[in-house]
Amino acid sequence: MGLYLTIALRNLLQARRRTGLLVTALAAVTMLLVMLMALSNGLTETMIRSATAISSGHVNVAGFSKHKTTDAWPVLHGISGLRKQVEQLVPESELLVVRERAWAKIISNQHSMYVSPTGVDIREEARLREAVTMAREGDYKEGGGDQVKGDLAKLSEPNTVMLFASQAKRLEVEVGDDLTITAPTGAGRTNTVDVTVVAIAKDFGFLSNWAAFVPHQTVKDLYEYGEDTGSVIQIYLKDPSQAEAVMARLRQDLKAKGHEVMEHHPAPFFFKFERVAGEDWTGQQLDLTIWSDEVSYLKWVVTALDAISYILVGILMIIIALGITDAMWIAVRERTGEVGTVRAIGMTRRQVLTLFLVEALLLGLMGTLLGGAVGSGVAVLLDQAQIHIATEAVQALLLSDVLNLSVTPSHVAGAVAVFTLLTGLSALGPAVRAARMQPVTAMHHAG
Amino acid sequence: MGTFRMLAAMAWRNLWSHWGKNALVGLLILFGTFLVVLGTSVLDGIDKAMARSITQSVSGHLQVYSRDARDDLALFGSGFMGADDLGVMTDFSRVKAAIETVPGVKAVLPMGMDVFDIYSASELDHAIERLRKSYEAGDQAGAALVATRIRAMADLLRQELQRRKKTMRDHEKLDKNIALVDRVRTDEFWAEVKQDHGPGVMYLDTKVAPLVDENEGYFLQVIGTDMHKFAEHFGQFELVSGQMPPVGERGVLINQKFYDKRLRNPVARYLDRLHREVTEKGKRIEGDPVMTGRVQRMVRQYRRITFQLQVDQARELSARLRKLMPGAKGSVDELVQQLLKVDDDNLATRRKFFFDEIAPMLRLYLFKVGEVITLRAYTRSGTIKSANVKVWGTFGFKGLERSDLAGAHSLMDIMTYRDLYGHMTPDKRKELAGIKKQVGLQDVGRDDAEDALFGGGAGGVEDETDAGDGFDEFAGVDLSGAGKAGVSSSFDPALINKGLAMHAAVVLDDIKMIPAAREAIIAATDKAGLKLQAVDWKQASGMVGQMVVLVRVILFVAIGIIFLVALVIINNTMVMATLERTMEIGTMRAIGAQASLVRRLFLLETMLLGLLSGGLGGALGAALVSWLGKVGLPAPADVLVFLFAGPRLYPEVGAGNVIVGLAAIVLVSLLATLYPATIATRVQPVVAMSPRE
Repeated sequence: MGLYLTIALRNLLQARRRTGLLVTALAAVTMLLVMLMALSNGLTETMIRSATAISSGHVNVAGFSKHKTTDAWPVLHGISGLRKQVEQLVPESELLVVRERAWAKIISNQHSMYVSPTGVDIREEARLREAVTMAREGDYKEGGGDQVKGDLAKLSEPNTVMLFASQAKRLEVEVGDDLTITAPTGAGRTNTVDVTVVAIAKDFGFLSNWAAFVPHQTVKDLYEYGEDTGSVIQIYLKDPSQAEAVMARLRQDLKAKGHEVMEHHPAPFFFKFERVAGEDWTGQQLDLTIWSDEVSYLKWVVTALDAISYILVGILMIIIALGITDAMWIAVRERTGEVGTVRAIGMTRRQVLTLFLVEALLLGLMGTLLGGAVGSGVAVLLDQAQIHIATEAVQALLLSDVLNLSVTPSHVAGAVAVFTLLTGLSALGPAVRAARMQPVTAMHHAG
Repeated sequence: MGTFRMLAAMAWRNLWSHWGKNALVGLLILFGTFLVVLGTSVLDGIDKAMARSITQSVSGHLQVYSRDARDDLALFGSGFMGADDLGVMTDFSRVKAAIETVPGVKAVLPMGMDVFDIYSASELDHAIERLRKSYEAGDQAGAALVATRIRAMADLLRQELQRRKKTMRDHEKLDKNIALVDRVRTDEFWAEVKQDHGPGVMYLDTKVAPLVDENEGYFLQVIGTDMHKFAEHFGQFELVSGQMPPVGERGVLINQKFYDKRLRNPVARYLDRLHREVTEKGKRIEGDPVMTGRVQRMVRQYRRITFQLQVDQARELSARLRKLMPGAKGSVDELVQQLLKVDDDNLATRRKFFFDEIAPMLRLYLFKVGEVITLRAYTRSGTIKSANVKVWGTFGFKGLERSDLAGAHSLMDIMTYRDLYGHMTPDKRKELAGIKKQVGLQDVGRDDAEDALFGGGAGGVEDETDAGDGFDEFAGVDLSGAGKAGVSSSFDPALINKGLAMHAAVVLDDIKMIPAAREAIIAATDKAGLKLQAVDWKQASGMVGQMVVLVRVILFVAIGIIFLVALVIINNTMVMATLERTMEIGTMRAIGAQASLVRRLFLLETMLLGLLSGGLGGALGAALVSWLGKVGLPAPADVLVFLFAGPRLYPEVGAGNVIVGLAAIVLVSLLATLYPATIATRVQPVVAMSPRE
């Protein structure tokens, strides 16, 4: 094998210009694929990060209460007992938080909008505290400065609210201002609560348009919920990839503990109201989901991006394969004499075939390794540069106002392997032809 | 000229003598042109289709709104929930007058968008109304039947309130309400009612009915406008059922898509969805977890059927179900569940059974055409206003029946819209805050506050706001429980153009006039002292418009990258071919050809090749596009129906598409030839004379 490699390397170096160009082209396409995959990956990671900070745990134990067969309220009673059970049943959890879900209109002096004011205990929300970054004053106020006002810790005080920058901008409020939250509750009655803005966080793309955080009690006041109630227990795992397994196990375990548990419906909870309202039970049932269920309505963005990437890279690969086939044809023609000679001195057809294939594979490997390395490097640099995205539509789609790219080594290795293999395949035709040559004709032709 | 002819002849010959290289390069050029022609034609087709979708369904050609708006107009949503701040045009008549002076303007329509909650009368409301009517008609037997039903409802209501204790805080109040309900469950109450129905019915109406939680989370997104002008000027508009409201009558027209998708019985929706997945996408229920999940969820919705049945209907349905499913046993609840447990074999027959046999027994929709619904608005100030409006009919946009985007908006008369809209100023806000403090947390009385503040506000029509007379069915019934509902059903048509509007749609004679008309409208309104801005339909569509721009950008970036790689590969191939031709070039140089001639020869060869294969690629692309133009490119997803202005897109080839594609590809291939040509010019004549190898 060493011999083949030496010969192949010699051949490649001899046709330096041709090799250089092909390596560059291959490297460029590999780089493109690696970067597109990094973008798709970055998007998925942003999605997990945003979703698990804002609207979901890795695994959620939520549910509905039905006071009559035709209603559905996203609230559970006996939440503290349930929480203890879940804590015991999921020892691999890193963090467990209880939240209340709500949908309400939030009104400032000038404006109003709908948000989901989520009830939290900020002291236990380590994940949320870590995920959100406080916005600079200039992010939401015209002519605002660079300083960060507000303090997330103050969300532990009663009747406070944390908004996101775009909401603050829309409502024309800043830290310290008062807002009114109003929501329809049962029997046509509407309740209101007045809250003070204590913190304004940087946007998270789409998801943060609708999210706001308030203390538990504010939501309970709004809906007149009792003390021992909550909407969801969000479980954060040390290893998020276990989410599905943990959910499946927890479903069985909670059933065994006597809870009514709904069948798995991979959709966010707000898609389920109508269905639950149509079911025939009353009382309370648990609904277990994982993070991707709660943002399943955003999945198409990743799917679309992947589809575009694969189509584009596929087309490019066809072009390059054509180029490589052509180059190998020329190489075979140029080296007809050489082939004749080696065949005459006893090299088998198989060995000639191998020789040309090794040459192509080596070429492919050089190009893809280079592309993979440069692509990964550029992706990492772009990610670190935290480039700001100006277009709103793109921001919304990428769930972030900065460009996030994330390189996965296994994906890069996969791209390198696949492209190298493809290079080898495109050289197959010319290589077979070289191998089929009769030594005599070959030598004669060369003469 | 002679040189050129000679060069051309040589280039032509070389094209064929080096066919190996040229075949590859030609293939790449062909493919590139094909891609550009196809891509740009389809995009142009989408642009045109979207222009039709949007201008003919919602926006008109231009939209005009206040320059004070803080948000951009986004007819299909800005990504935030809740109405955007578009400012207000307080006197639409002035806006209309100013814009109508601009030549080419066909119509100016007042508009306002909002989302309202739908409250339909509860079962109890209906029953109380029937009770009243039975007594008034002296029908004691009928009254006794209704009374039994109301007592059963009271039992259920009591259970509901009891269950609320688990999640709700204020048990004292719940107990008080339970006591109110309990009275209805006694024989004494009904004995009193029998003697004098007045106070009893009043008690049911005012004390018991409001305890029913009637908000089922249905909402209606509306455009308040001049509905007749809308139907006249928006070409895709099509009345599907019912009728247009008579001129001067209040009411709504519901979008058929929304009506079917959101307000129809869920079982019907599940069945249709399953049917579509099976017939159109070729899916099977068996072995597909998504599909089986859907069937399971549908089975659990059986109450949406059985809960609506009268006793005799239930008996009848049981008999028919046993005939359909021989061997099936059990109550009607169980039988319906068995019916809904569909599989691949019986889906079609059971769906047919549902629509033929069961549907006629049901209220298939939340409300029927011709009925009156209560709409409840959160005004800008957060207070509540409600109105009873008649549903006159349903409508759709031609070709866009399957599009959710086109199905998003229903239509409402602008008068009711104005009633439901509460204009907010800092002064009013302050005043309201004062009232709110007195009212406290529970907001029951706030409608009065709202009325005090905003009553008689816009256009002088809200004076008419009062109990819903004119609607027999609900005469005297306070539908909303807490809110003061109802407005008079008719108005003076002349008022449509007076009073406020959020934005206005401008319909032009010709879509090509948009840029000029936009300028002229701004000038005309400025002259009239109105501070307005005008945007074209694309801008007005908000996120949707941006998405199409995004798709275009992605396509061009992709084509750019493809061309770049093609350039490298072509260049590479050419270089190799050039190296093979050193002998030939050396010979040419030796017999007196200048370096510049060699360069020109190379460029000409490429140009010839580019034109030939590019032309072929362009022709292939054009052929495919015109074939697609005939059979149509089917929308792969319902989302795309809107962009395609129908279930299929019919793209057209423009000469521009082909020319741009050809020019781009020839430029790319010429660029790719520059370096090989330079190499060629460096070949010295002496090469030709040195022996090979």
